[in-house]
Amino acid sequence: MSDVNSSPVSRRDFIGTGAKLGAFLAAAPYVARGAAGAAKADQLNVALIGCGEQGRILTNAALPIPGVRFKAVCDIWPYNLTRTERLLKKFGHEARPFEDYREMLSSVSDIDAVIIATPDFMHAEHTNAALRAGKHVYCEKLMSNTVEGARSMVVTARETKKLLQLGHQRRSNPRYQHARDRILNGDRLLGRVTNISGQWHRAVSDDYGYPANQAIVEAKLGKYGYANMHEFRNWRWFKRYAGGPMSDLGAHQIDMYNWMLGSNPRSCMASGGTDYYKTHEWFDNAIAIFEFPTKDGMVRASYQVLTTTSAGGGYHEYFMGDEGALKLSENPKYTKLYREARAPEWDQWVAKGIVASPTSGEGAPAAVKPWEKVGVKKLGGPSKSAGVDVRETAALSAWDIPVTLDKAIHQPHLENFVDAVRKGTPLSCPGESAFATAVTVLKINEAIAAQKTLMFKPEDFVA
Amino acid sequence: MNEQSSSPRTEYGYAFLILRLWLGLRALFAGLEKFESKGSYSFAAYYENMGRMATGISGASFLPLWSTKLFAFSIGYLLLVFGLTLLLGIKTRLTLVAHGLLYVALSFGLMVVQEAEGVAWLGMHVVLTVGALLLVRYNRFAVTRD
Ligand SMILES: NC(=O)c1ccc[n+]([C@@H]2O[C@H](COP(=O)([O-])OP(=O)(O)OC[C@H]3O[C@@H](n4cnc5c(N)ncnc54)[C@H](O)[C@@H]3O)[C@@H](O)[C@H]2O)c1
Repeated sequence: MSDVNSSPVSRRDFIGTGAKLGAFLAAAPYVARGAAGAAKADQLNVALIGCGEQGRILTNAALPIPGVRFKAVCDIWPYNLTRTERLLKKFGHEARPFEDYREMLSSVSDIDAVIIATPDFMHAEHTNAALRAGKHVYCEKLMSNTVEGARSMVVTARETKKLLQLGHQRRSNPRYQHARDRILNGDRLLGRVTNISGQWHRAVSDDYGYPANQAIVEAKLGKYGYANMHEFRNWRWFKRYAGGPMSDLGAHQIDMYNWMLGSNPRSCMASGGTDYYKTHEWFDNAIAIFEFPTKDGMVRASYQVLTTTSAGGGYHEYFMGDEGALKLSENPKYTKLYREARAPEWDQWVAKGIVASPTSGEGAPAAVKPWEKVGVKKLGGPSKSAGVDVRETAALSAWDIPVTLDKAIHQPHLENFVDAVRKGTPLSCPGESAFATAVTVLKINEAIAAQKTLMFKPEDFVA
Repeated sequence: MNEQSSSPRTEYGYAFLILRLWLGLRALFAGLEKFESKGSYSFAAYYENMGRMATGISGASFLPLWSTKLFAFSIGYLLLVFGLTLLLGIKTRLTLVAHGLLYVALSFGLMVVQEAEGVAWLGMHVVLTVGALLLVRYNRFAVTRD
């Protein structure tokens, strides 16, 4: 099934053939064979390049998808390669191991799609090679550490007419889709959105190490572009391999700014520095401000990434409007919806299943012990006159989004990719729109270096 | 101050009356609220509320459900009876003893589920009942004399 439109035998054709055969011959054996054949027709053979942390997460998320078969795995580090090969074996997938992706692409002929989870500076090379070999590609974010690399990926996908999905998985998350399609846009519960703030605050962590007996020799590291083992393991903090925390963490969330607003920014100003870590090149503390022109007016959006503290509420994207606010996070515990006191009541949206009254956490009625009588009003809580300043506005009421994701967070995005390959359904994050995100994100590092506001032109976002 | 406006007996009498009225009202309303659900009172609500209480306590402790149910389904009626008898002053001494024991039993239910705040809350009722028992000999304005 290497091309969506030229699948040799579709599932329906095959079952149809089986039924006709059944008319001539004793039915049962052929029905059984037909079913097995149908399963084969639905099979999608995949290969993985990059068997590190994310490679394994994607493998685990892809394994439950019916019909997905891992045929090959590729990694330059035998330690990770063997671990993934063993993981796949445990689930009955005989994936051939390779060090060189070129050899893999040329010698395993029945691969339909390639999943790429290598460091960002390799994405363009790996993606372009896989696309040119006639494979569909699911490549991790950030698309590339350079705009040119990202552009080449879109161009190659266009030329080869193969599918290219980028790993901004929030786009396939049903909670995010509900938030965008029903809350923010459809029923416009936030009113006029004027501001977004987003953040990823992460506590100090040690650099990655490696088992002493698993070090790769320097000559081999050099061949693949790495200076030494420390940089090979901690590539995300070095400028020649990646775009730093704005690209590593911010890319996901800034992608949500563009995607939720359906717009690209017109300017970017930013500040950042490597203030804490002695062993990193990239910033550990950075903040950016964008201006997004939208059909409703200007939206100003700030984004902050800190790798020195987890204080300040973890990671979220916070969309604020004149009637409500929406705090979204991949982690449901940081997700909340708020209604301004001046906005119309939301009872009708509760009835329609668009929002939910919280049953636990913020906004939920006080917890009742299992033996206590329910519905008893308790005294206490802040009084109406608790405001400190007369200009304080009434508190927002807290609500929940009644949509949850009951799978691994990357699975729906992989499913979306698999469906696109099999059925031609639209990709959640095709190369063209991921390119706009890459342009947005990479501009931040440029703005920090330039120490001034940089402007975008609409054509910057077109590959 | 060698001139006294009333004898200590009279003050003890009033002190006890106040305590009796408070305990009586408290017991009456503690019993009544067990019949309430969403603003209306019924026997169905009583069995629902008390069923929840019994399963909640049994679920969180070693007490078997039959024992918590037996207690929970009778407690509302007992409180109503004690409330009325205290308010009217009927068999006050006996009522106070039974009322005190009832609150000890209630406290026991919360002790086994480690509900320290609730135990302290009920403990106040026990202390007030003990105080009432110490003053019961000054009982006045009562329908029956003990
Ligand atoms: N979508 C998400 O939520 C998410 C989360 C984490 C990481 N990522 C992305 O996934 C990618 C990988 O990140 P990671 O955390 O797994 O890094 P990692 O360092 O754990 O894994 C990278 C793997 O790629 C291998 N590799 C390096 N160069 C190679 C080459 N030339 N050929 C073949 N293999 C090579 C390494 O040996 C390693 O096993 C990055 O692009 C990162 O941004 C995405």
